[in-house]
Amino acid sequence: MIGIFAGLLLRALVVLTGAALATFALLWHAPGDPALAIAEARYGQNVSKEVLDFIRAEAGFDDGFWTAFWAWLVPLLKGDFGQSSVNGRDVWPDLVTAMSYTFPLALVSLALGLAVSVPLALIATRKPGSWLDRGTVALASVGVAIPAFWLGLLLILLFAVQLGWLPAMGAETATHSILPALTLGFGVAASLTRIIRSGILEARGQPFLPAFIRRGVARRDIARDHVAPHAAVPVVTVLGLELAFLLEGLVVVEVIFARPGLGSFLVSAIFARDFPKVQAVVILAAVIFVVVNLAIDLIYRSLDPRVSERDA
Amino acid sequence: MTIQAYGLSAELSGHTILYPTNLDFKPGERVGLVGASGSGKSTLGHELVDTLRARGASVAHVPQSPDEALDPLRSMAFHWREAEKALGVAPDHARREMLFKALQIERGDLRKRPWGWSRGMQQRFVIAMALIGTPDLLVMDEPTSALDPVVAAGTMDLLEDYLKDRQTALLLITHDLGLAARRVSRLMVMEAGRIVEDAPTSKFLSAPETQAAKALCAHRNWLELPC
Ligand SMILES: Nc1ncnc2c1ncn2[C@@H]1O[C@H](COP(=O)(O)OP(=O)(O)OP(=O)(O)O)[C@@H](O)[C@H]1O
Ligand SMILES: [Mg+2]
Repeated sequence: MIGIFAGLLLRALVVLTGAALATFALLWHAPGDPALAIAEARYGQNVSKEVLDFIRAEAGFDDGFWTAFWAWLVPLLKGDFGQSSVNGRDVWPDLVTAMSYTFPLALVSLALGLAVSVPLALIATRKPGSWLDRGTVALASVGVAIPAFWLGLLLILLFAVQLGWLPAMGAETATHSILPALTLGFGVAASLTRIIRSGILEARGQPFLPAFIRRGVARRDIARDHVAPHAAVPVVTVLGLELAFLLEGLVVVEVIFARPGLGSFLVSAIFARDFPKVQAVVILAAVIFVVVNLAIDLIYRSLDPRVSERDA
Repeated sequence: MTIQAYGLSAELSGHTILYPTNLDFKPGERVGLVGASGSGKSTLGHELVDTLRARGASVAHVPQSPDEALDPLRSMAFHWREAEKALGVAPDHARREMLFKALQIERGDLRKRPWGWSRGMQQRFVIAMALIGTPDLLVMDEPTSALDPVVAAGTMDLLEDYLKDRQTALLLITHDLGLAARRVSRLMVMEAGRIVEDAPTSKFLSAPETQAAKALCAHRNWLELPC
């Protein structure tokens, strides 16, 4: 068990290092002169050569890739995300503000997705192949295929523009979160419904179930104690992918609804070529991803210890 | 009271694998069901158990393979508790110890899941679960197929002991005529989804009527096997 945990931690470490290196390398080799972009962001058009040289020296662009990488990584390991290369402000407090908008939205969307998908999948699998089941599958397939930006705009048109019930832009009040949460929650619900449904159907096909019925175990107990755990295994496995899907959707939704969260933070940082901010978001996303996947892996192993047995 | 089940039949994707069959068992009677692999023995056992259970009779069933009997995600202790609950009996530590000892699985770790036990141990665990209560009929599908001859004989002895002072009837499904001949008083032969012969064991062995029964009896050296 300890060995498995150490292995998982090691894997997490490798993923994080890879993510840090990859982001830094990508930004480092991005086309165009980053110093020029920073200068323009700070001082407007027509910057002098001296200013550019100053910025290059300040940002460490002259020292070569590895020096610059270490200069970024070492403070980062101490929790220092550095300063914005555009306005010189510390990145961390702004990042925290952005997170305070994004995390509640992500959690609400996930909760919404679960609250819809679990009952829907349970109802659909009551009679596999019935019109209810087929309708659910069709709806979920369409739901997975609908892009978040399109659904978001549609909801804005309907509820904000046409009906005027809900605000479309900003994040001042809780009502501002309703449309973004619906947009994200819909996508989550659609993909989770499909996964949970097929998980339940697969679990119902387990070869040992008839024996439990013949042994006289109540159907409800069989569903709770045998079908549910088997159905949960594939669902837990894909939750990590679901999270990636959610992070991606968050960026789009925050931009559409003009919410000052991590997505908007990232997009504006990219346009301003504000490397420290971009790197901070990518590293944060990588940490979240790794931590959640670690948790999922542990849950998965407690559900189905055969996995650990095979690994050992 | 005689247990009767009429018109047992089964189809699989439009193909009949069990033709309408009638069965009856006197209380305490021990019946063997033999036949070639794929002749429909397990199917008949399932239909019989399901029909009787639907009628409210108390039946216990030991599936052919432990994979069909145990949930790989649940501990052995969970299976045992669940079986006791299904029978409506109070947890009885002594009864479990007695059964486990008789089946020589008392050293198995109940906290483990089925795949933490050997197949033969799993099979004996499933047999033990079937013996918790006192059903009217006990259907055992190849109960000794994963057991070595000595343990198999011990298991059958325990079964005899269990049946001795009960009214429980036994349907023993096996392709091992030697095993069946020693333990049952009546033998049925299945062939391609039908029972083609049904006779007292002694008559069956001395004067088999059908081709299928004759083919089985041609291997009478099986009787020398220690079970
Ligand atoms: N899962 C299945 N898929 C397809 N056909 C099956 C399946 N199970 C049973 N059958 C069919 O049903 C017939 C009877 O099967 P059954 O398991 O009852 O035979 P059996 O007499 O118990 O054989 P064995 O001695 O090998 O256990 C087989 O001939 C086979 O064609
Ligand atoms: Mg069989």
